[in-house]
Amino acid sequence: MALLEVNHLSIGYQTAKGLLRAVDDVSFAVDAGQSLGLVGESGCGKTTIGMALMGLLPPNGSIVGGNVVLDGQDLSGLDEADLRQRRWRDIAMIFQAAMNALNPVQRVGEQIVEAILTHKPELEREEALHQVEGLYQLVGLPVGRMHDFPHQYSGGMKQRAVIAMALALNPKVIIADEPTTALDVIVQDQILKETKELQKEFNIAIIFISHDISIVSEVCEMIGVMYAGQMVERGTTREVLGQPRHPYTQALLNSFPALGGPRRPLRPIPGEPPLLIGRRFGCRFCDRCPVPASSCKLEPPELVQVGETHFVRCDNV
Amino acid sequence: MSEQTPPQTDQLQRTPPPLTAPVMELVGISKHYQSRGSIFGGAGERVTALNQVSLDFRRGEIFGLVGESGSGKTTCGRLMVGLERADAGQLVLEGREITALRGKDLKDFRRKVQIIFQDPYQSLNPQLSILDSVAEPLITSQACPASEREGRVLATLKAVGLSPAEDFAYRFPHQLSGGQRQRVAIARAMIIEPRLLVADEPTSMLDASYSAQIFDILLQVREKFGTTIALITHSLAAARYLCDRIAVIYRGHLMELGQAEQVINRPRHPYTQALIDATPKFGDCGDVPRYNALLQPERQATTEEAGCVFFRRCARAHLTRCSRQAPTWRRLEDGDMVACHYADGAPDPGPEIESCPVPGL
Repeated sequence: MALLEVNHLSIGYQTAKGLLRAVDDVSFAVDAGQSLGLVGESGCGKTTIGMALMGLLPPNGSIVGGNVVLDGQDLSGLDEADLRQRRWRDIAMIFQAAMNALNPVQRVGEQIVEAILTHKPELEREEALHQVEGLYQLVGLPVGRMHDFPHQYSGGMKQRAVIAMALALNPKVIIADEPTTALDVIVQDQILKETKELQKEFNIAIIFISHDISIVSEVCEMIGVMYAGQMVERGTTREVLGQPRHPYTQALLNSFPALGGPRRPLRPIPGEPPLLIGRRFGCRFCDRCPVPASSCKLEPPELVQVGETHFVRCDNV
Repeated sequence: MSEQTPPQTDQLQRTPPPLTAPVMELVGISKHYQSRGSIFGGAGERVTALNQVSLDFRRGEIFGLVGESGSGKTTCGRLMVGLERADAGQLVLEGREITALRGKDLKDFRRKVQIIFQDPYQSLNPQLSILDSVAEPLITSQACPASEREGRVLATLKAVGLSPAEDFAYRFPHQLSGGQRQRVAIARAMIIEPRLLVADEPTSMLDASYSAQIFDILLQVREKFGTTIALITHSLAAARYLCDRIAVIYRGHLMELGQAEQVINRPRHPYTQALIDATPKFGDCGDVPRYNALLQPERQATTEEAGCVFFRRCARAHLTRCSRQAPTWRRLEDGDMVACHYADGAPDPGPEIESCPVPGL
């Protein structure tokens, strides 16, 4: 049994126009020390999955099917108080846009101390402060900057502080939601490398959410490609990037310019993703698919196994 | 919208534009910002946004300006369209110095240079329909009689792949996706057929599939109107895909300039090499070598004013020379320009070329 198992998870948002199925029948498993990248365009449901794992869905959102099992315990059955205990201690999150994830009027070190003391009230403040010093060293921040405010930090430093906060309680799982999107390439490269080293050192499972396949391919052993709320392809990074089987994965790969190799033309994916409100028939990608079959519009495709750990949601593979 | 899929272009054998007189030249442009001092007195910090930058943009060329945030690339773009004024240096459009233009001449200049911004969610007026938004430049510039306006708008919307154009023209920005909005921004800039289009990070807010659409529209715009495009980007991969030439800029200083393929495949400046090292590689990327040009941790240097701006982070620096003497902006044998004492391993800097516009490479 894997450390974290997500089984047939479906998540809906109540909207004025009806139920929006943001996530539909998504399954994956991550073990300690493993990393899974969730890739897809905005609106594909990847952040919603992250929020659901943290138990942080907004009030109009709820899990409408499937479950999340962490360490053998079903998280979807827990009440808010239990969930709060587990949150941050078992699962932590590195939020998108670190500049907004920190309280602007509290000293950065103090915010991490607070997070530690909330979950470990038995600790002395001094001890917590000492732990924060250790965390600062771990993520490559100068310990002397603990008493500065967020606006005195650069973008990269804020991101490191947010990573330190995620590591504060030795979580088993970290969800990293676009952790480097706002950063420059050189800082991004350093932070990705450091995150990888920390993950190995502490044997953490990481779920890495990004719209950028190239970043995920550098960090993760496994990739899940999301489209319109569904996981359309999943496997090891080598399988998914080396032999992409789903037309969407192939199209996504063709729309990234590369730094090396022959300069090939990019092929943008025509059209827009579908709306997720109301009943849908058939494959969600078929309107944009370069190789649709007549049956694709009628029957929703099942997840097909095409390799040892390689699954594809397409009838034409 | 499927017809906007580009023809299976062999754009990748795109021929570089002929060597004609440049559309725009920047000659020794410098720009400083003074940050506000403390309320208790004491001057603020003086920040160099651009230092002695000389560039030329040729007709029909896509020129990439690459650098990290704070490198001065956006300031450069804003200067080029007259949104900022340089502290020193000259800006020349089609042979005419424009820094001193006023009145009608200035208006004429503004017609010839247009800009599209990074964030299509903020650059369009939410209260104007797409038709009104795109027609606005026609009205302010009085480029065509009112009776022809709608036709021109529809044709331009079509040119940027928004079809059926009649359908999009009466929508409002909130009804469009980010990629569609950015295309409206391009249409709005292109409707008065400027000579030069500055595209400031046009895809950094967009998903990959939309970015690729925008890239192809920029290529089509160049093809169709012969517009010169200055692409400001932090992505070397995007610059490699789109650009004929690339200039790499670091803290307001030009580091390297040359043919796109050359700069990417054979970077000579350690900073360009560091950028390449840091760019994620994936797929059939071929063999992109690792240069390990970045020094970690940074040097604590105090002599920075006199020396090379990249000295503190450079793994290749010569401790005395690079900390004391700023490298000159010089031409290498193959025509590329670089600001490094040790580019190409040359122990001595080549002949000095100071603040001259880059003549045809």
